[in-house]
Amino acid sequence: MTREEKYRQVRREAGATGVLLALIILFWCAAGFGLAGVPVFVFGLPLWAVMGTVGVWLFAIVGVYVLVHGWFADMSLEDEEQTRGGDAR
Amino acid sequence: MMPQTEGNLFALVPLLLFMALMLAIGVWVRRGRGFGEDFVQQYFIGNRRLGGFVLAMTTVATYSSVSSFVGGPGMAWKVGFGWIYMAVVQVTAIFLVLGIFGKRVAMLSRRFDAVTVVDIIRERFESNGLAMLAALVIVLFFCGTMTAQFVGGARLFAAATGYSYEMGLLLFGLVVVLYTSIGGFRAVALTDTCCALMMMVGIVVLLYYVLAAGGGYQAILSGLHAEHPELFEPLSAGKMPLGLYFTQWLLVGICTIALPQSVVRGISYKDTHSLHRAMLIGTVVVGFMNIGVNFTGILAHGVLDGPEASYGSVDNIIPLTIARAVPPELVGLAIIGPLAASISTISGLLIVASSAIVKDVYLAHMRAQGRTVKAVHLSRLSVVTTAALGVLVFALALTPPSLIWIINMFAFGGLETAFFWMLLLGLYWRGANRLGALLSMAGGTVAYCAAQAAGFKLMGLHQITIGITVSLVLFLLGARLGRPTSAAVLQVFFPGARGEEKG
Repeated sequence: MTREEKYRQVRREAGATGVLLALIILFWCAAGFGLAGVPVFVFGLPLWAVMGTVGVWLFAIVGVYVLVHGWFADMSLEDEEQTRGGDAR
Repeated sequence: MMPQTEGNLFALVPLLLFMALMLAIGVWVRRGRGFGEDFVQQYFIGNRRLGGFVLAMTTVATYSSVSSFVGGPGMAWKVGFGWIYMAVVQVTAIFLVLGIFGKRVAMLSRRFDAVTVVDIIRERFESNGLAMLAALVIVLFFCGTMTAQFVGGARLFAAATGYSYEMGLLLFGLVVVLYTSIGGFRAVALTDTCCALMMMVGIVVLLYYVLAAGGGYQAILSGLHAEHPELFEPLSAGKMPLGLYFTQWLLVGICTIALPQSVVRGISYKDTHSLHRAMLIGTVVVGFMNIGVNFTGILAHGVLDGPEASYGSVDNIIPLTIARAVPPELVGLAIIGPLAASISTISGLLIVASSAIVKDVYLAHMRAQGRTVKAVHLSRLSVVTTAALGVLVFALALTPPSLIWIINMFAFGGLETAFFWMLLLGLYWRGANRLGALLSMAGGTVAYCAAQAAGFKLMGLHQITIGITVSLVLFLLGARLGRPTSAAVLQVFFPGARGEEKG
């Protein structure tokens, strides 16, 4: 990858990270406040208290997995043009 | 307080062993790796060799402080599941900082030979003054936070073991200062990893004994349903207002991506594969800790079922729970978790504060004067600076002056206000310029601290909303009024974009 391509890819990754944040916020709202009145109990706890905590955690784990496997790319962290050009700093 | 029984001395053994291990890591890193050619790179950033697991653990451990283990679960005891629901927003903290800044900072630091976040700020905004100010903000706020971490750890030690506050401070305080000074960043990262593992062990141990002491999960829960039904509501009968949820998303979630002690970890790892792994592992670990420790706090009702006032403050809930539920011979093991949270935060801040003084202030000053510093000189100076800072904070923690509490109260949000827009806009927006960054950092931080000091809130929301808004407005204003960044810098930070414009 050239420096330009890398920069474009990193931007894309940062954007995708932001999208995942937005999705987690939505899920968090729906799973907690959204389920707050539901009279269902899991392990003696109201549904919202499970979905809004452990549920959000699992959602985030799956989200990050999809993020790094679907959107993130492996690349060299060295500055290519620098090594090619040979002038340090 | 009098030491209790001789069995209690025995209880300190696991703690002493743990501290000895931490020290051994510090010494081993120094000997084994040999701090050769490039001392600054080695000492302050571990030569960019961290793998995914260690990167995840050190980021989580630095981020999770003693208050996550003491004050937090104490509040969960009081508020109930709403508190865990709020705390779980922290699962975003690790993947956000690594996903948004991780690669950007890693590549830029390699280009500039940078070892600190301030180095990158200096290059991006072409300003030594801004860099110095950033270094000052870091050192000041970090000293406040470190002192508070020392105090929190020592208080917990005293309350749970019956030994004195000073003894606790001596026991873990000197150890953390020593291993950080000797081993530098690599020692910090490796000890952080041990600390994070011990935090998780500590949570499991405490949870186990809380369940046992409370008569089992079912018994504790049915007691809670009968006595405290509000603990099962998100708003907890008014104890957990909606506005608090909103501001906690900013304060302990989104804005934490700008904390310099987190961002600097983006300089420290070896390759992108490690970064990707760290994002996943970090999210798993931070969620486990936050949910586990706060859930334990709620279940502590099975051990402490009196009114809040009878325990002094919520900060005493966890130490009292440890003292009452955990058998005396295991108390030492149970308090390793919270103490590990405390020392791993201190070590992470200490090495960054030291790098701010040595690299960002001293070396930058020498370079500006055209003078070079001998390697021997530099290595001695770095170790001495780290140790001196550590000892200073240690001394402050013995009798904390009230000013320290004020600084600590301002620190978290203050650092976020100072660095959030500067880093986010600086690294992703070409229009971000020196004046904007300067106004944003100085003005935003002052506005935040002033609002905190005056107790001024907008719509009852935490002052972070004021800080982050003022900081953004000033940044945009500065970007409009000030000189744009030079083409040479833009070409380095935003490759390609300019070329397209020229056709």
